[in-house]
Amino acid sequence: MKFLEQPPRFLFFTGKGGVGKTSIACATAIELASAGKRVLLVSTDPASNVGQVFGISIGNTIRQIPAVPGLWALEIDPQAAAQGYRDRIVGPVRGILPDAVVRSIEEQLSGACTTEIAAFDEFTALLTDTALTAGYDHIVFDTAPTGHTIRLLQLPGAWSGFLNEGKGDASCLGPLAGLEKQRAQYKEAVDSLADPLRTRLILVARAQVSALREVARTHEELAKIGMWQQFLVVNGMLARTEAAVDPLAAAICSREEAALAAIPEALSLLPMDRVPLKPFNLVGLDALRLLLADTAPAKCIEYPDTAFDSPSLSTLVDAIAADKHGLVMLMGKGGVGKTTMAAAIAVALASRGFPVHLTTSDPAAHLAETLHGALENLTVSRIDPHAETETYRQHVLATKGAALDAPGRALLEEDLRSPCTEEIAVFQAFSRIIRESGTKFVVMDTAPTGHTLLLLDATGAYHREITRQLTEGTMRATTPMMRLQDETQTKVLLVTLAETTPVLEAAGLQSDLRRAGIEPWAWIINNSVAAAHPVSPLLRQRAHNELREIEAVAKHHAHRYAVVPLLKTEPVGVAHLRELFRSGAV
Amino acid sequence: MKVIQVFDPALCCSTGVCGVDVDQALVAFSADVAWANQSGARIERFNLAQQPMAFVENAAAKKFLERSGQEALPLVLVDGEVAMAGRYPNRAEIARWAGILQLAPEPKPSANCCSGSKCC
Repeated sequence: MKFLEQPPRFLFFTGKGGVGKTSIACATAIELASAGKRVLLVSTDPASNVGQVFGISIGNTIRQIPAVPGLWALEIDPQAAAQGYRDRIVGPVRGILPDAVVRSIEEQLSGACTTEIAAFDEFTALLTDTALTAGYDHIVFDTAPTGHTIRLLQLPGAWSGFLNEGKGDASCLGPLAGLEKQRAQYKEAVDSLADPLRTRLILVARAQVSALREVARTHEELAKIGMWQQFLVVNGMLARTEAAVDPLAAAICSREEAALAAIPEALSLLPMDRVPLKPFNLVGLDALRLLLADTAPAKCIEYPDTAFDSPSLSTLVDAIAADKHGLVMLMGKGGVGKTTMAAAIAVALASRGFPVHLTTSDPAAHLAETLHGALENLTVSRIDPHAETETYRQHVLATKGAALDAPGRALLEEDLRSPCTEEIAVFQAFSRIIRESGTKFVVMDTAPTGHTLLLLDATGAYHREITRQLTEGTMRATTPMMRLQDETQTKVLLVTLAETTPVLEAAGLQSDLRRAGIEPWAWIINNSVAAAHPVSPLLRQRAHNELREIEAVAKHHAHRYAVVPLLKTEPVGVAHLRELFRSGAV
Repeated sequence: MKVIQVFDPALCCSTGVCGVDVDQALVAFSADVAWANQSGARIERFNLAQQPMAFVENAAAKKFLERSGQEALPLVLVDGEVAMAGRYPNRAEIARWAGILQLAPEPKPSANCCSGSKCC
């Protein structure tokens, strides 16, 4: 493995949930420790299976791993870090300020950025030379901060007068306000990140076109802020040997090879490693030792075809169609197939004779293009998130920011690079289309998080209050939130994969939506190997491993759910999309 | 020089960048604050979401919040006494309170709005 050669002191693994970065980080730590190094493994995985992997509980203090000499581990729970951060700000005023005020403060501090900043706060001590880390040769992190977080910490203006004086002047530092450490320490932490002699970033992805495109963006963003010492690991590649016995496996192999052949240019220059798909779950020391080893493929356990009686997508569409019109929103983390599911549902509804407007933010656009005009009742429109965000950004700078001087403008520009901005810009574009859902079906492949909805609604409430005070009018406004909370008008479908981390991430999205009073209507488990009834022994073992996750969704998370099989070809075009409705039951 | 204190509602950031629409009133007021501070005035802002302790420690702000609720913010105090509530003061009002002589025509707002606003 190239990324393991001459490793620097800090190794960061980054990638989407479910690509296996925690497993690769663990395997790396074991490998380095076996070579006689003293290694500290730092995990922020919400699934937190590092303890499980080593058969001990770890928690938020450094613990030695008895089974691996030279290895210590530490688990940082980003949610707990964010909670600690909120407590520092809210704790002193709880019971003193009115409860409603305390609640609104807590909501303001519940965004994804707060979580990320709070986690970075915890990293800082590990990145700066302290007594805490002096004894380790390598520190391996199973996550990396985003470009937005690092830029935020680099901004000299963001700090002026704040931490030094301990009080806010006109500035609003948002999530930075409650941080504990000193400016010098953050600067040192950011400096070590950008030092190629000290830090290596390893991008982890699967061999899929969209996943590689996403990783290329991360690569560019982090390279721009100085982290240009990067490696690429393509994880979970299906071995060619499986293709001989199973047409599904053969199709997957060809698809993965095609994706790598068309790798984005920015990534093609990076040192790349391929890690083959394993039949087993990556739990336990023995399994992890095999992950990065260049040995012969592991022997599969022989499993029969999976007995399976999960509901198909058709049952969900039947229930949606019964309402004759409405808004259908597909939600989920990137890479789970929201766009494909949105297209499949739109096609199914249109085929039943309903007028449907499918609106997608799919950057590839090929899906929208192939569907447009394919069915009589189906309208397709595409929203490009990057273009929308850029337009919105320019609009704000040109109008609201017109009177600002250069430093003020620079800060507003950085502000507008926050992840919330993209969400707002895209949501604004979508909300122009949402109005149509009173008379037809509107299917969207993206939706804002519960946190954003709450903030948008709070802003709306504030403006309405002002308007009411000014005009003393009696007009009663309905908010977009009311429409989203009403299950007869809006159905939120959570899309996930039958793997541990994606299921946990979807459950996280669900609780976020519940905070905003929105109850997800159904879950869709996409790309299920079990529902595809593979022949290949490796895929059969994977299928068997999926059953536990499917059961968790069915029993604990979802009111109703559907399982969609992994297809041989990318479901583009009406005919292929219809295949997604095939039942997995046999 | 009089001290002007502004108690903002719970804002993600005082530019209002995080809202459905960037609030012009917030952008303009931030610029006015910076202008006034450059002209020698002393204006302090407190965001309810980030500095709630400031609302607790100031008797006038605490009482106002209990009586009128957060919906009635912002609250503006001049030398500790309530000068305005429910909206942001304009540049002329700030100038009057702070005793800044304004040249006509009103100078272009040169100032940096919301220095370092960070969105959550």
